[in-house]
Amino acid sequence: MKLLTKTTLYFLITLIPLLAIAGFYLFNQFSKEINYRSDKDLINNEIAWIRYLESEVNNGATFILKTPELAIFPTQSAVERYPTITNINGYWRHENTIPYRQLSQVVSISGIPYQITIRQSQEQKAALVTDVTRIMLFVFIGLFVATLIFNWAISKKLWMPFKRSLHKIRSVELQKMQNVHFEETNIREFNELNASLNYMKSRIYKDYVNMKEFTENAAHEMQTPVAVVLSKLELLLQDSNLKDGQVQAILQSTDALRQLSKLNESLLLLAKIENNQFETTTEISLVEVTQKYLILFDEFIKEKQLTIQTVFNDSFMVQLHPLLADSLIMNLLGNAIKYNFDGGKIEIIVSGNKYHISNTSVLDPIPPDKLFMRLNTSAGNEASNGLGLAIVKKIADVNNLAIEYHSEGGTHTFEITKA
Amino acid sequence: MKILIIEDEKALQESIVKYLSHQGFICEAVSDFLQGKEKVTQFVYDCIVVDIGLPYGSGLDIVKELKYMESKAGIIIISAKNALEDKLQGLDLGADDYLVKPFYLSELTARINAIIRRRSFEGNKAITFHEIMLDAGARRVLVNGKTVDFTDKEYQLLEYFIANQRRLLTKGAIAEHVWGDEYLHASNFDFIYSHIKNLRKKLTDAGSEDYIKTEYRSGYRFTDR
Repeated sequence: MKLLTKTTLYFLITLIPLLAIAGFYLFNQFSKEINYRSDKDLINNEIAWIRYLESEVNNGATFILKTPELAIFPTQSAVERYPTITNINGYWRHENTIPYRQLSQVVSISGIPYQITIRQSQEQKAALVTDVTRIMLFVFIGLFVATLIFNWAISKKLWMPFKRSLHKIRSVELQKMQNVHFEETNIREFNELNASLNYMKSRIYKDYVNMKEFTENAAHEMQTPVAVVLSKLELLLQDSNLKDGQVQAILQSTDALRQLSKLNESLLLLAKIENNQFETTTEISLVEVTQKYLILFDEFIKEKQLTIQTVFNDSFMVQLHPLLADSLIMNLLGNAIKYNFDGGKIEIIVSGNKYHISNTSVLDPIPPDKLFMRLNTSAGNEASNGLGLAIVKKIADVNNLAIEYHSEGGTHTFEITKA
Repeated sequence: MKILIIEDEKALQESIVKYLSHQGFICEAVSDFLQGKEKVTQFVYDCIVVDIGLPYGSGLDIVKELKYMESKAGIIIISAKNALEDKLQGLDLGADDYLVKPFYLSELTARINAIIRRRSFEGNKAITFHEIMLDAGARRVLVNGKTVDFTDKEYQLLEYFIANQRRLLTKGAIAEHVWGDEYLHASNFDFIYSHIKNLRKKLTDAGSEDYIKTEYRSGYRFTDR
């Protein structure tokens, strides 16, 4: 339930007893006013009747009058100094009870005690109850509708900054965090929230940058000692007194170190792509890059006797740094060659906004959860550092390209689409 | 041929000096910016190998200084940074080449050779190894004075072999020199073998001695001994 709906609901619930009390009070006030007027009428009536009676009785007549509304007759009861006014329920047409105001007093008219009872219908009082209830109900409904409309309008406008912040949090990316800013609003609570978010954001980003710089520096610093060891190994290799076993040991160490350094280089490349250090405004044709690499890889293709089938219906222009375009195609095409079997097939189809490359392979399909993961080396492949596809994925992500992989019957397919 | 090496990592500096000296270069080495600057202003070198990250200054400033002096020396920058901007900046300042650490000493030697030949205005652009002559200007190979047709890759191979004559060259080093990073996508080094076979055949067919020696399981050596 929305916060505003909930507060509105509570508001309306507390409003019900308040309205009831107000209704009751209103009714009471009106009722008192009506009684006061009735009583005044009744007393005036009585005075008029007493005056009339006195003149009649002085003429020697005995007066008896009995109607539902007025009764005057001689009685044996004791004379009362004050009239009693009470509320009674009388029957009116169709046996509907209606309230009456009744005045009754025993007065002495020329020494004869007379019972005077005057009633006045208070039908209007019954109407008053329904009126007041109706008014209160109207007020309630009016308030309800008004609150609903307000609710809707307010939640649209008043909560806008909050929703904007939410949206920003949801779409935040670690490496692009620096550009995220939760701006000032004219609501204090949201300002507090946004200020805290800004603070948190800058702390996270700072930590992230520190971490990244450390990794990058470490990767950099590693290249020099590796260079030293490799140069020593290369010199050592020139020693003509070495036995075959020793030469092999040197070669294996060299290979391992080369691999370490390539791994380092790939990690640095990934970091650079993440840092958007390859931003560009120029477009490049992936088809042209592909054609270039088909020539560069020509020897390896012939070596494996691979059949290459290309259909280029489109030049597939993308806004991509030439270096990244090279890296993208080199990795995809390179993998297609490297993991192919002798006499296998590679198919590259480019049409519209789809770049499709598929190849037969000695490898099993790549499980989706491991597909673009870093350092996921396929079994039995020492020459791979497992970063190729991670780089491909990163290039695609940073440059608004979508990359998909599927595998069917020993054929692996990668598809790049422009987003 | 006189080479100056400006590199602060002593161990690497020693390796470079040792390898280059063995290939017949006269080497001098210094370890910081100030010494480097002093050397380049006082002496003339054929080629200067300079690291970017140096104590007391940047190697790039030495490149600037050399250009300001209108020095004829070839310049190779060696750096741990494989950044495109650094490369472009270095080359823009007038460096002839940019080599990323770690590199093969044989690769550095090949590049120094290429630069020196490119820069020698006295027409001495050819390198000879007994009956074989490489005309770098025309990218031509003459054996006993007769032109032999080589493919691009074979020419690169031969050039590399002669620059690193008598040294054991591993398949990895050969592959990286001739094929660049693309070779990483080959399943094995078999492709090198066919090129070397062709190269050897063309040379011997033209009447040259067979200088390419296969070292068991490790690589090749181009030698007259």
